[in-house]
Amino acid sequence: MHFTDFNLRAFLGRGIHKTVVRAMKLTGILLIIALLHVSAAGLSQKVTLSLKDAPLEKVFDQIKQQTGLSFLWDEQVLTKTMPVTLDVKDAAVSDVLDACLKNQGLSYSIIQNMVVIKKSSPIIRQPMVSTPPVEVHGRVTDSLGNPLAGASVTIKGSKSGTSTDANGNFVLSNVKDNATMFISYTGYESRQIKVDGSSDVSVHLNKSNSPLDEVQVIAYGTTTQRLSTGDVTTIQSKVIEQQPVSNPILALEGRVPGLSIIQSTGLPGSGVTVRIQGQNSINNGNDPFYVIDGVPYTSQVLPALSGIQGNSGGVIGGVVNSTGGNPLNYINPSDIESITVLKDADATSIYGSRAANGAILITTKKGKGGRTNVEVNMQNGWGKVTRMLDVLNTPQYLQMRHEAIANDGQTTGPTDYDINGTWDTTSNTNWQKTLIGGTAHYATIDASISGGNARTQYLVGGTYHRETTVFPGDFADQKGSGHFSLNTTSDNQKLKFQLSANYLVDNNNIMSSDITFYAVSTAPDAPTLYNKDGSLNWAPTTSGTSTWTNPLSYLLQTYSIKTSNLISSAVISYEFLPGFKLLSNFGYTNLQSDEKIISPLTVNAPENRPFSQRVGVFGDNNINSWVVEPQLNYKGNIGLGKLEVLLGASVQQNNSEGQQLYGVGYNSDLVIGDIKSASTIIAGSSINSMYKYNALFGRLNYNWMDKYLIDITIRRDGSSRFGEQNQYHNFGAAGLGWIFSQEDFIRDNFRFLSFGKLRASYGTTGSDQIGDYQYLSLYSPVNNVSVAYQGITGLLPNGLPNPYLQWEETKKLQFGLEMGFLKDRITFILSYFQNHSSNQLLPYALPIIAGFSSITKNFPATVENSGLEFSLTTTNIKTANFNWITQFNLSILRNKLESFPNIENSSYSSALVIGQPITIQKVYHLLGVNDTTGIYQFAGTKGTPTYSPTYGTDNNIIINTSPEYYGGFQNDFVYGNIELDIFFQFVKQKGLNYFYGSLPGYHYTNQPIWVLNSWHQPGDHAAQQQYSSTYANIYQQYSDASRTSDGAYTDASYIRLKNISFNYRLPDKWVRKMNFQNCKIYIQGQNIFTITSYKGMDPETLSSTTLPPLKIWVIGLRFGL
Amino acid sequence: MSITLSFIIACLTQISCKKMLSVPTPDTSISANNVYSNDATAISVLTGIYAQISSQRLTSGGVNSLSLLPSLSADELTLFGGSTNVTYGNYYINALNSSNLGYLDFWHTFYPYLFFANSAIEEISNSVSLSVPVKQQLLGEAKFVRAFCYYYLLSLYGDVPIVTGTDYTLNSVLPRSPKEQVLALVVSDLKEAQNLLSDTYLDATLLNPTTERVRPTKWVADALLARTYLLLKAYDSAEVQSTAIINNASLYSLDTLNGVFLKNSNEAIWQLQPVVTGWNSPDAQTLILPATGPDGYAWPAYLSNTLLNSFEPGDQRKADWIDSIAAGGITYYFPFKYKLNSLTSPVNEYEMVFRLGEQYLIRAESRLQQNNTSGSTSDLNIVRARAGLPNTTSSTKEDLMNSILHERQTELFTEWGSRWLDLKRTGSVDSVMNIISPQKGGIWTSTAQLYPIPLSEIQRDPNLTQNPGY
Repeated sequence: MHFTDFNLRAFLGRGIHKTVVRAMKLTGILLIIALLHVSAAGLSQKVTLSLKDAPLEKVFDQIKQQTGLSFLWDEQVLTKTMPVTLDVKDAAVSDVLDACLKNQGLSYSIIQNMVVIKKSSPIIRQPMVSTPPVEVHGRVTDSLGNPLAGASVTIKGSKSGTSTDANGNFVLSNVKDNATMFISYTGYESRQIKVDGSSDVSVHLNKSNSPLDEVQVIAYGTTTQRLSTGDVTTIQSKVIEQQPVSNPILALEGRVPGLSIIQSTGLPGSGVTVRIQGQNSINNGNDPFYVIDGVPYTSQVLPALSGIQGNSGGVIGGVVNSTGGNPLNYINPSDIESITVLKDADATSIYGSRAANGAILITTKKGKGGRTNVEVNMQNGWGKVTRMLDVLNTPQYLQMRHEAIANDGQTTGPTDYDINGTWDTTSNTNWQKTLIGGTAHYATIDASISGGNARTQYLVGGTYHRETTVFPGDFADQKGSGHFSLNTTSDNQKLKFQLSANYLVDNNNIMSSDITFYAVSTAPDAPTLYNKDGSLNWAPTTSGTSTWTNPLSYLLQTYSIKTSNLISSAVISYEFLPGFKLLSNFGYTNLQSDEKIISPLTVNAPENRPFSQRVGVFGDNNINSWVVEPQLNYKGNIGLGKLEVLLGASVQQNNSEGQQLYGVGYNSDLVIGDIKSASTIIAGSSINSMYKYNALFGRLNYNWMDKYLIDITIRRDGSSRFGEQNQYHNFGAAGLGWIFSQEDFIRDNFRFLSFGKLRASYGTTGSDQIGDYQYLSLYSPVNNVSVAYQGITGLLPNGLPNPYLQWEETKKLQFGLEMGFLKDRITFILSYFQNHSSNQLLPYALPIIAGFSSITKNFPATVENSGLEFSLTTTNIKTANFNWITQFNLSILRNKLESFPNIENSSYSSALVIGQPITIQKVYHLLGVNDTTGIYQFAGTKGTPTYSPTYGTDNNIIINTSPEYYGGFQNDFVYGNIELDIFFQFVKQKGLNYFYGSLPGYHYTNQPIWVLNSWHQPGDHAAQQQYSSTYANIYQQYSDASRTSDGAYTDASYIRLKNISFNYRLPDKWVRKMNFQNCKIYIQGQNIFTITSYKGMDPETLSSTTLPPLKIWVIGLRFGL
Repeated sequence: MSITLSFIIACLTQISCKKMLSVPTPDTSISANNVYSNDATAISVLTGIYAQISSQRLTSGGVNSLSLLPSLSADELTLFGGSTNVTYGNYYINALNSSNLGYLDFWHTFYPYLFFANSAIEEISNSVSLSVPVKQQLLGEAKFVRAFCYYYLLSLYGDVPIVTGTDYTLNSVLPRSPKEQVLALVVSDLKEAQNLLSDTYLDATLLNPTTERVRPTKWVADALLARTYLLLKAYDSAEVQSTAIINNASLYSLDTLNGVFLKNSNEAIWQLQPVVTGWNSPDAQTLILPATGPDGYAWPAYLSNTLLNSFEPGDQRKADWIDSIAAGGITYYFPFKYKLNSLTSPVNEYEMVFRLGEQYLIRAESRLQQNNTSGSTSDLNIVRARAGLPNTTSSTKEDLMNSILHERQTELFTEWGSRWLDLKRTGSVDSVMNIISPQKGGIWTSTAQLYPIPLSEIQRDPNLTQNPGY
């Protein structure tokens, strides 16, 4: 970087105060050298300052201490300055100086390591008095004097304008001498300058602090909120950092309009269902497309041995992959710089057939030039179950059981251990406290070192994370990860190379089944867990029959998953002609997991052990993929606008492999982990599939004077998931933007409006989220066979093939209005979207007489997702010492089955209704409990009460279980060194409640407290039917009411204090004494409390039998060296 | 620059050619063309059917569940009071609900096998590369499998759709065909199978004879055809079929009571080889009760008093084929035809599908219906003698018929739904079940003799109708 001669001339020509001149004399030679070769590297150094009403000298002093920069000034220059109040953290020196000097009539230059403070040089030099100019020459630079190429320069009130060349120079002809020039450049504050008769103008623009100008990563490039024509939301690392989550996607919950995130359990590594703008596909995959540093990443893991981690809403062939957790668990949150969510066609169409459900781009941290930075973060935390269920105590339970038996006309039987005296009916155990009432411990330490110079930057980081569970026993999930990034540029700036890699190893040791169900449902008078000798108590009868299954026995069946995940990418680019860049990115991912379930003999009741075997189950899964994407990029000025053209191709391959082995017949519990010790080894399921994907794509983006924006994308791509005839398809989209606040009449008449943009986009995207090979007729070995029939392996058809499969297509339409008021102190974004998904890939249900119960086929059904996304950010208070920022977002979604030809005769006639959402349930209308008989009644034909409604005709009540609206509400307060963030998340929805527990009155099974509201005798007006101890009598009514009636589906909305984050930055003098750059301590809380009327454990998981997400508190320390 | 551009364009066009998208078939599967192009893999398909049938447990709703669920519906088994399975309960009290079968239904069990058999028949018929003897035997096996499935479907459901091809667009809208047409298909398939199938038991190469009686032969087709003719009341034809088997004394003879269910016993016409390491027959796993007695999950049922009381004094089958345990102060009796419910190596008991004892009783009934009383009595007495019982004292045709049916009850209990099918075949189902059903806590309606077609099937096939009463 070189300083401009203008600045030098200004420096010399303006005349400097004597002291400075003296200083110059003293350092004469040095300075002259410096004048010839000036570096601004020092200005990108970071400083952390907290000053109140401090004189400028003090600011300079502190900067000097932190950076080693020295300052030169004329005392007279500072005499009339105001004291400043500053509170910045890790801010660039240049920004600090800009902020301090801007309103004081001062500016600065930098010479080697010396910052020279001077009176601002007028922007217009050398007034030309003699003749009015016809031509204005000028130069646009940033505050450091670097030329800004492509800045737009227009004359207010006329159509004439131009943009700057590579050196920041411009020429404007026919300019009136009283004209006002308007100069703008992306990411910088625009300026208006009166020409005032001068013909030679030099302008420097300050970097914009507006959030509208923050860089947003988009598909194959970057943009800003200001210039984007698409619906894009970016979450920065700060938001992720302040949440104690081990899966980064959870940090987005409630924060991104249009994005719904549901965690499936509170166990480490649990599944997460992610949906962008609703559910497009009736019965196939609805997952977004994940891209990490340009490399596509899997949205689902392969099926796991145990279902304990819950699912991530993945659907293949209509079947939910119910196991395995979520692949984003294997990405370290602290390595992430930003997560961008792409929603509309304009933003996603370039991803073609994979982005019908939106895309989520994760960008990892990169090194920054300047001094070597070391960042260390340590935290420790505790987690508890968010909400427990109120269940019956022993007297209530016993009363229920006795009444149930009496209702059934039976007497207490020999196996009614819970009430016949076998168990101690005076004991009263709180099983939830015993089994899930523990405290999970969290510990995280991460550290990174980064640095480099102007041409090469690096970052290396590592993290260790450990979390335990709330269950009794020694279970823990441990993660270690490393992150590495390198950027380098050739001397002539033409060649750029970027390399990054993330590697994470996870060792998750848990149990193979979630005992939350037992915590909720074990009878309160059940026996004690342990015998006196410390062994598990099975409470046997005199004949040796165990009277219960000790819940701790489930914990003896352990499950371990060892996962390693590598995500690596490289980008190389070369600018072979000015504006023309040839680049290519390369990516490789490898997600490997090894699982083991150890099932010792002791998981079985003692008397069953002779019939039982020790079992070891071994699984390994591997997903690896590579991608190569060569691209040609052009950036240049065409007329008054900036043109960007991108042409590219993508070649991708995914390989999935997995196998499961069962070892049985071990002679000791100690050796189950070793498959060689098994007397018999049985091969379980195996997976082997290859997916290839190729595409050509292009994008044309034209920005006319930062006022009119147009963006066109096209893509042609092919997927190996389809038959030969239908492998290729074209996708495309167009986006338009009009930044009306750039129009003169707006600028002149609505001064409070600092930003205004209207945008619209329309285009197509596709989905190929079906399993591989569905077009082929394949035969596979018979399952569950460990001894070959007659010594040979049997082969049977996999399913019905369909060689005519093709894309599911989503057409997306979107309008957006974005506005900023009062210098962007208030900004809001309002988007309306309407997406139509057609050519639905359905596992079209068939009667089994066709051989299989479904065939994957394209069906001309259309699903419409429409909705409003709204977000508002306001800076309520902004003073030197106190800042208060509020953010609010709301998404209102509507899903509708628009058309489904001949639905009445299809297999979907019972599940779907045209005009209704595809997530509906059709249920009976529960009329309540008959006062006389004490049995549930439902509305039958024509509404007549019946005990046994007919499925298919009487289940007419439509319940929609997808959320009506959701959003979040955040408040950030900064006071001096203290920062407090409070974030609420809310969801309005209906859900299946746990109103009825399991069959109330059934033996050994406890019930939620609300079953007390049952019918006891004729005449009772009760909410719940009479107790019953058997499945034979009134179970069907119970089952209909509790699962398929409108009585069970009620409001399950909730408001949750999702996150609270409190930071205290240690005062600078302490930090300096410790030789730190910065240091803060913090407290963070997640899922702190929930306000809901949901009957059950957790309204997010809508389950009372799986572990709810935990309430977590952590305290931590973060410092930089 | 133009060179660079043309290079890029060349690259881009290169990668979009279709070849780039071709993926090999996965290691885990073989494509249909390859399967039927050589003998070994074609044999694997029929073998796969037997292996799959054999791999299922009684409690899973597979073909083997015929030994559990129809026995619960009839008067043979008592459901344990602690059973939590609603569907078991509904089978037991003869009150099935078409929407609540929990896949414990035989509709979902047999139709996939029909698809396998139909696709095998199509592919094998079209194949030009299979060797002639293999092609013939496999075609015979596939026809037999098809007949076997239809025999049980029509016995359990009455009229059922006849599927003979693999085109799902046609199959998925089929209506039910009258039972008579289904029976006609069973008979014609079995006749073809008789002509195609080997008369010696073959190993998995289909080239060499073996002592393992686990693949269908001509005799297996005979055995099912005898049963089918009995159902059709074609007694002369039934007698011909059973006589053919009985006369093949070099292969078949009655075994001792404790020897009948051993693998490759002399009585076995078709057995299924267990396919899970160490496990013997699936019947033994579910029906033999452990010392702790029945429970709600793995051991849901025990023998009914009706069956226990039906044994004549001195019937050795009560001693050899029934056992008991006392648990919680209650004595439970359970079937003990198969005796090995623990893991053994090697495996000693195979699941019996067809056996000689039944053929004697089929012939006794056929002969009686043709008024050959002496022939009938002699066949009946052969079975009785093996059970340690004296010759029958029945002399009138009616008495003798009752004796034969009673003998079927005590000989074939908990075998493949024999009792339930007999009650329906002989028309005594209403009279018997009117007494039995209330004892089980149900109310008998005559329509309960046909199981309901699962509701989801009715919803998916617009031309499918439900059985009355559901």
